[in-house]
Amino acid sequence: MIRFGPGNLRIPKFEKPVYVVAGGLTDFRKKYPEKNSCELCMEALRMAVEENDLKVDPEQFRRMVNWVVYSQFADHFGDQLLAAAKIHDYLGFDPLGNIEVKTGGATGGSAVLAAAQAVASGYADCVPVVGWERMDEVSTRVGNSYIASAACKDFESELGWMYAAYYALMAQRYQHENNVPRESLAKIACKNHEYARYSPFSQNPGHYTTQDILANDIVSDPLSFLECCVMSVGAAVLILCDEKVAHQLSDQPMRLSAICGGSHTLRTADRRHMPILLLPNETEETYRHYFEGRRHEWPGFSSFLASRMAAYLAYHMAGIRDPLEDFDLLETHDAFTISDIQTYEDIGLRPYGRGREFIESGDAYYEGRLPTNLSGGLIGTMHAVGATGIFQLVEVLWQLQGKYDRFHGDPKMWARYGKTKPADWRSLQVKNPKRACAISHAGTGSHVTCAIMEKP
Amino acid sequence: MAIDWPTTTLEVWNEEPLGVKNPKTWAHYHSYGGWGRFFRGLEQGRLLATRCTNPRCAEKRLWLPPRTGCPDCWHPMEWIEAPQEGTIFTFSTVKYPGELFKLPAGTPLISVELPGVCTKIMSWLKDGTPQFGMKVKAVFNTKKPTHSILDLAWVPAN
Repeated sequence: MIRFGPGNLRIPKFEKPVYVVAGGLTDFRKKYPEKNSCELCMEALRMAVEENDLKVDPEQFRRMVNWVVYSQFADHFGDQLLAAAKIHDYLGFDPLGNIEVKTGGATGGSAVLAAAQAVASGYADCVPVVGWERMDEVSTRVGNSYIASAACKDFESELGWMYAAYYALMAQRYQHENNVPRESLAKIACKNHEYARYSPFSQNPGHYTTQDILANDIVSDPLSFLECCVMSVGAAVLILCDEKVAHQLSDQPMRLSAICGGSHTLRTADRRHMPILLLPNETEETYRHYFEGRRHEWPGFSSFLASRMAAYLAYHMAGIRDPLEDFDLLETHDAFTISDIQTYEDIGLRPYGRGREFIESGDAYYEGRLPTNLSGGLIGTMHAVGATGIFQLVEVLWQLQGKYDRFHGDPKMWARYGKTKPADWRSLQVKNPKRACAISHAGTGSHVTCAIMEKP
Repeated sequence: MAIDWPTTTLEVWNEEPLGVKNPKTWAHYHSYGGWGRFFRGLEQGRLLATRCTNPRCAEKRLWLPPRTGCPDCWHPMEWIEAPQEGTIFTFSTVKYPGELFKLPAGTPLISVELPGVCTKIMSWLKDGTPQFGMKVKAVFNTKKPTHSILDLAWVPAN
């Protein structure tokens, strides 16, 4: 563990501004034998290039690309080593250079970070980020084992072979320390299943009450099935460019003003205490009274140091003073309801110990102060792991461009995936949003990226 | 000389689109490396932790799970027996474990705080109902060890 020196907290900077011009998705399903991974990636890429009002045709676009970043979590699931080479070839990008990124659940965020670094440095000026996951080749039980292989196999995986159990340990401790009503956690699940109902891409939409969530079967006490993310098959693509290419391609490029990463121990067991790293909207005074008595116990089992670190760097990089005021929408990595509450605190939406207020106050809802996971998130819409962090930024891009309705409300989009647009569909387009944030998260907080996208 | 077609075939699980079963049956020959001493210790009823040997290192406490190199200063660590009594820091009962779990569904998982140890090792409760702050003591699977972290468990201390 690092005791912070000045170099450790250096605020990252881009030598050149980085822009996002287009995004594409497939729909997300528990099982998707109709399409192999190559086909899914091409489908998402085609949506990005052909349905985002780009000012060039697909053939012209192909000639502009000079680097590609691939994003897949688990070779176990795909059962194909060097899958990126297979997909790169299938997409017809050979002989361009490419790289595959792997940081667990945060793979998508890290892949976008790697692409941003390429653009910001001048190494490349037009970079598709292609993410996917295929989690349907094994049973759910084996799938959970595979995911638990991303815990420490020597000392922790044997204890349950189940990631939900590792989050449940944190949830129990968080509840013990902060006495959060179970209903508050359940509200997050209700919200995200509900927002998933308005998305044609979603895998697990549903209209639930908090009672439904709490009465649902328990995976690992206290988390119920409806409070856990889905296991998905699908793909997502985001296209990053420098300023010149962005304007050649789009009349509505959005600026990726920051994307930064943090980490913490893979094993929650190994998390030692340290002073709280304060965000721009916090001071020593923030924790003088509330956290008294145990502020030395941070981050413990109930906070994600990686998220705090990523937010600290990204907020300083993008000039964020107060996330609640400065962001108009947010996508979190709601792998579990408990991790969402923890994240609210880590990224400064409420001080530590008071994360529940973000959902209880209504702030997290559409038309609240900071609408969160309007996409349906990981609980309602998808967690095709390598695609997830990219999916979040695709949804954010469309929101900033005012295109939520086009991609979620067109009956033809629903028909494309064999679905019928619900009669009570409603638009979740945020009114004139200027700036958004997305958190991509791995393990029990082993890697986290914080991305900030805004209107230039 | 003509070569015959293979005699083993892939089982078809789906006709349209065509889907086949790719079998997986081999073992990985995993080594615990320098951490093997910890697992051997469990078989002998010993809870072996490590401590940094660098006198200038600020972290004087024990590490459990053990590390053979210190994350704070990269110096070698020494092996020291950890206390076998501690308290439950957090717990959860796993109802739907993943494949490969060798204990029954419903086994309580626990994180244990031990005096003088800077970590909170994840383990399982072999007997009793877990509660916050409950005093527990270590028990060891010495008769027929699994040679895994499951050879360590905890029971109520009283």
